[in-house]
Amino acid sequence: MGTIYKREMNAYFRSPVAYTIIALFMLMVGLFFWVRNLLYASTDFSGALSMTSTYLTFLMPTLTMKLLSDERRNGTEVLLRTSPTPMWKVVVGKYLAALTLYGIMVALTAIYPIVMTFLSETGIPVGKTFGGYVGFFLLGATYLAISLFASSFTESQVVAAISGIVALLVLYYMQSIGATIGGTFGSILQWLSPLKRYSDFSLGGFNIASLVFYLTFSGMMVFLSVLNVERRRWQ
Amino acid sequence: MIEIRNLTKKYGQFLALDNVSFDVKKGEIMGFLGPNGAGKSTTMNILTGYIPCTSGTVKVGGFEIMENPKEVKSQIGYLPEIPPLYGDMTVDEYLKFIFELKSVPLNQRKRQMDDILYLVKIGDMKKRLIKNLSKGYRQRVGFAQALVGNPPVLVLDEPTVGLDPSQIVEIRKLISSLRHDHTIILSTHILSEVNAVCSSVVMVNHGRIAAKGSVSDFTASEGSVNKFIISVVGNKNAIQKTISEVSGVRNVTFLRVDKDAALFNVESSRNVDVRRPLFNELARASLPVIELRPVGRSMEEIFIDIVNNDKYVSETAGNERGEED
Repeated sequence: MGTIYKREMNAYFRSPVAYTIIALFMLMVGLFFWVRNLLYASTDFSGALSMTSTYLTFLMPTLTMKLLSDERRNGTEVLLRTSPTPMWKVVVGKYLAALTLYGIMVALTAIYPIVMTFLSETGIPVGKTFGGYVGFFLLGATYLAISLFASSFTESQVVAAISGIVALLVLYYMQSIGATIGGTFGSILQWLSPLKRYSDFSLGGFNIASLVFYLTFSGMMVFLSVLNVERRRWQ
Repeated sequence: MIEIRNLTKKYGQFLALDNVSFDVKKGEIMGFLGPNGAGKSTTMNILTGYIPCTSGTVKVGGFEIMENPKEVKSQIGYLPEIPPLYGDMTVDEYLKFIFELKSVPLNQRKRQMDDILYLVKIGDMKKRLIKNLSKGYRQRVGFAQALVGNPPVLVLDEPTVGLDPSQIVEIRKLISSLRHDHTIILSTHILSEVNAVCSSVVMVNHGRIAAKGSVSDFTASEGSVNKFIISVVGNKNAIQKTISEVSGVRNVTFLRVDKDAALFNVESSRNVDVRRPLFNELARASLPVIELRPVGRSMEEIFIDIVNNDKYVSETAGNERGEED
């Protein structure tokens, strides 16, 4: 697992992809910091994160699009499958690499609340900011797992990215769709929506059930990716 | 070392492999031949654990691939048709990655790495990105990858395709040099390659074994006759008469005239060498011999025979065909 993880981390930072995504991400965070914190004279950074979270729908699939699809296109899948390393380690290693890169991106944004801590007279709302960060990270982790799953279906990076984005958009609107439908089915949709739980976090409520929800959801998606990769071998 | 029994692979309705069985003994280099789509790559993909088979067994070093995939995989070094390389890594990094992937013990890595770099001659390219390497070097890096962990079995899928003639010779030398401590399966289209490096041959066609045996069995002339082509200057009829009178000659057929010489096909009994008397008699008749060469069946001829006529049964290699015809 560590072998694959290291390789993927190197691959990220050796291509312009990681830098471009980080730059784009930081640009957005900076913009929303300006809108939510500077213009409103607020020290609550979770609002800026919340605005950024919408765009994770588009960013996360770009981090995972090549992870599984490229191995197939390159012919390197043969290498992984014929090596004594089992495929689940390969898939999990790749997921952890994407998660680390995302973690680095999230960590970089900490500069804003840190600066605000020193510059504001009132200080920052620690609980809300912390909750916002935890929710933001968990939401991204779930998105990554979903788009990794999308990448396991195809050998084209573009198809992987687009299907990842579509899947995430469906999830994104699930909450509002659920609310519109109403009734039991509507509540189920809302309950399943990762976004709904994220708003709980960014309001400062640290909910163990939601934490379990995110971890289970991500785990399921990674597991399904492994199954999908294994399934194709039998075709 | 390798035991393949009744291997069958279906892709949906398509039967890619039909009851294929063969063995490769320890230390043998087996040439794996067959036209495109005959089932060579499918067999190798099953053997290396890349895809599962529909039925049958594959044993490597006593382990069955479906039951003990890890043990089998760690005994095999596989060079697929397209070398599985990561363009964004340097040769050095890539090989270190493979060492880790194959979980080679740490204390063996340094020495093995040096050995492999020396063996496939890529030491100078260690620090280069793989995507910047030429095709020949990429092939060698792919080869190096298969050697990592010093696996007792090597499976090489058309390792010389697309290389220039001098690179082909080098790769063949490399394969030959590995024969002492490896069992090798070499799939190829180039039949002279089989003559050059292999000790035994398995030919497949339409997913079935078409023939198998040792290389000398295959290339020896057919049946119980020696064949020569002889080229003599002089009158065609006089030559034919003189040759047919030499004792031991069974058959003379005129082939064609080449400039002032006539070419004949001469057959003799297998246990009689007619070349000396042939030369002496023709010289006595003042008919100078300008060329005399034995004709063995080339791999190409055998190959084309099998492909064109699926009913081919190798006489010399023993009849190993099934009863499907």
